[in-house]
Amino acid sequence: MSSQIAVMADQDTVTGFRLGGIKKGYPVQNMEEADKTLRKLVKEDFSIIIITEKIGDGLRSTIDQFTKTSALPMIIEIPDKTGSIRRESDPMSELIKRVIGVEMVK
Amino acid sequence: MAQEMIEGINPTRMELLKLKDREKLAVKGHSLLKEKRNALIMEFFNILERVKGSRENVEKQLAKAYKDLATAQVTMGDLAVRKASLAVKESVEVDIDSRSVMGVVVPVIESKTTETRTMVERGYGFVDTSVKLDEAAKNFEESIKLIIELGEIEKTILLLAKEIESTKRRVNALEHIIIPRIENTVKYIEMRLEEMERENFVRLKMIKKTMEME
Repeated sequence: MSSQIAVMADQDTVTGFRLGGIKKGYPVQNMEEADKTLRKLVKEDFSIIIITEKIGDGLRSTIDQFTKTSALPMIIEIPDKTGSIRRESDPMSELIKRVIGVEMVK
Repeated sequence: MAQEMIEGINPTRMELLKLKDREKLAVKGHSLLKEKRNALIMEFFNILERVKGSRENVEKQLAKAYKDLATAQVTMGDLAVRKASLAVKESVEVDIDSRSVMGVVVPVIESKTTETRTMVERGYGFVDTSVKLDEAAKNFEESIKLIIELGEIEKTILLLAKEIESTKRRVNALEHIIIPRIENTVKYIEMRLEEMERENFVRLKMIKKTMEME
């Protein structure tokens, strides 16, 4: 199964990924637009959607709704040009801790 | 200690047999689920090895790419960069397959972006572009490769973790609630049946005695 990748981010990030070779870039300005675009992208069967962490934080509930239920689409959050958001606790290591029961040294 | 039992069970032999069957099934299910849990956790640890540092790699690579992009924007102008970016040909082609780990379907991505492209293949002109643009493009290509890999790993971890949690819960429910409850009920029925037998025995003796006395 061949599949498609889309990028939904701010203008600069989209430009960057276009340079890298992902042509399906969707620049969004605000959260409402992002929410609408994300729903559209999922409906259009993009299997990998790259978004920035800022958008990810704003659309957490929508994203959870799409990712919790099935293996696809895969929504990947990446830092934007201002660098990554330092979170209190990394959701990934939080999850690992919950599953294994002990903290893994990373 | 009040022992928990299944409510509303009649102390009969039929019920006892049924319960014993249920107990056998529960114990079998418990050991199977335990094996499944162990296998899942093993798989989980394998994946954890791969996730180590891969997010940091992505972040580092992207930071490099953004820096080059910014430099390119400064030297060429924002619009020119955007124009060039529109001319770039599609480079990424991924095949998404799925693999089953103990019944959990996890994605396996095969991306065909391994070969680094030469500047000509990217598709924008040389005349009005700067060297930094080439570097930014190269770095973004690298980043995309890493991001796709990271996505696959993180998704797998998420799916496995969900399955491990629910399996763990089931194992614990069987081990600490369902099996003890059935065991207690079986014990109760056995005791009741023995008691009834003794009652019956005594009754027979009494009858025999009264019959002899007459």
